[in-house]
Amino acid sequence: MSTSAAVFWQKNPALAWREIDDETVIISPNDSVMHELNDTGSFLWKNIDGKKSAAELAELLVENYEVTPDMALSDTQALLEEMSSRKLVVTVPATGGVSP
Amino acid sequence: MNAPLANSGRGSWQQFELSIGCVPLRLQMSDAQLFGAASARYAAFTDAAAQPIAIALNDGAPAEGAPVDFRYEFEGAVLRALSSGIRFDGVKNQYALDSLLRVFLSWKLLEHQGFLLHAATVTRHGKAYLFTGKSGAGKSTVATLSPEGSVLTDEISLLRREEGVWRAYGTPFWGEFKAAGSNSSAPVAGIFRLLQAAENRVEALRPMAILRALLPNVLFFSADAQANRQLLEIVSQASTEIAGYTLSFRKNRTFWEVLPT
Repeated sequence: MSTSAAVFWQKNPALAWREIDDETVIISPNDSVMHELNDTGSFLWKNIDGKKSAAELAELLVENYEVTPDMALSDTQALLEEMSSRKLVVTVPATGGVSP
Repeated sequence: MNAPLANSGRGSWQQFELSIGCVPLRLQMSDAQLFGAASARYAAFTDAAAQPIAIALNDGAPAEGAPVDFRYEFEGAVLRALSSGIRFDGVKNQYALDSLLRVFLSWKLLEHQGFLLHAATVTRHGKAYLFTGKSGAGKSTVATLSPEGSVLTDEISLLRREEGVWRAYGTPFWGEFKAAGSNSSAPVAGIFRLLQAAENRVEALRPMAILRALLPNVLFFSADAQANRQLLEIVSQASTEIAGYTLSFRKNRTFWEVLPT
């Protein structure tokens, strides 16, 4: 799964999620698996809207947390890869629509 | 309020009415053996309520293509929520009926800001104490160590938010007690995540920790995204409005001494 700047990310629309105490719980209805995101993970999750690339999400991280741009991009890409492998997020090509 | 187990006007069909967590139900079936077993099993929950939800058992295949709001299959038994009514088909025994009733209630309770939870519920001074955990966590142990008549259920509790107050109800879904719970309810004092230990101790949990403790123990069977969002909303609200604790406890009655009143 690519995390290049040309790819936008969006939440898997089949999920249920809720934020409490700056943490996020996500439920995958198909397999009843519960996922949890910490503070920064929750921040990124809130900003994953199908209109931002990994680089743009990392920029938001830099603006809101004490983290270097390189570290922010690395962490963002790692989290997106992880969430993608768990089918929590999907990519959206620049032309629109969800990629298979 | 007891209602007679009545013969309906539909040939050999028999029906009886019950209420679980204030959800009124009417079970209709033609299998006399199953009727006998079910009416005995749910006798403590018999209730005649206005406009119960009719559930037809083994009424033949529904019309092909009929829209289904919710469907669930369990070991050959099938639950269908149709616009024309609720159908349980392929129900061969009491065990299958009991399973489908749990599944149906878990779905129906969304309308009532409620959910089913793997938890024993014990009342004390008019309040409900819920003890949650997977099998082996100690739910039945807690129930066994509690005074006779105070246990609403030793296995599956039903929670509902009513006029801003969370209440816990007993259910007929038993655990090791091998007996139906009590058809009564009480406002919730707290939810306790069970840990068996050498010493009795309670530790208050933050809402997120409560949610984390509750979710794996919530009974829910729908894979529908919207239904799961509703459920998560309800359980999250419970997590922020109900006091939650970890209860480390010894296997004797002394654990009551450390519970908050």
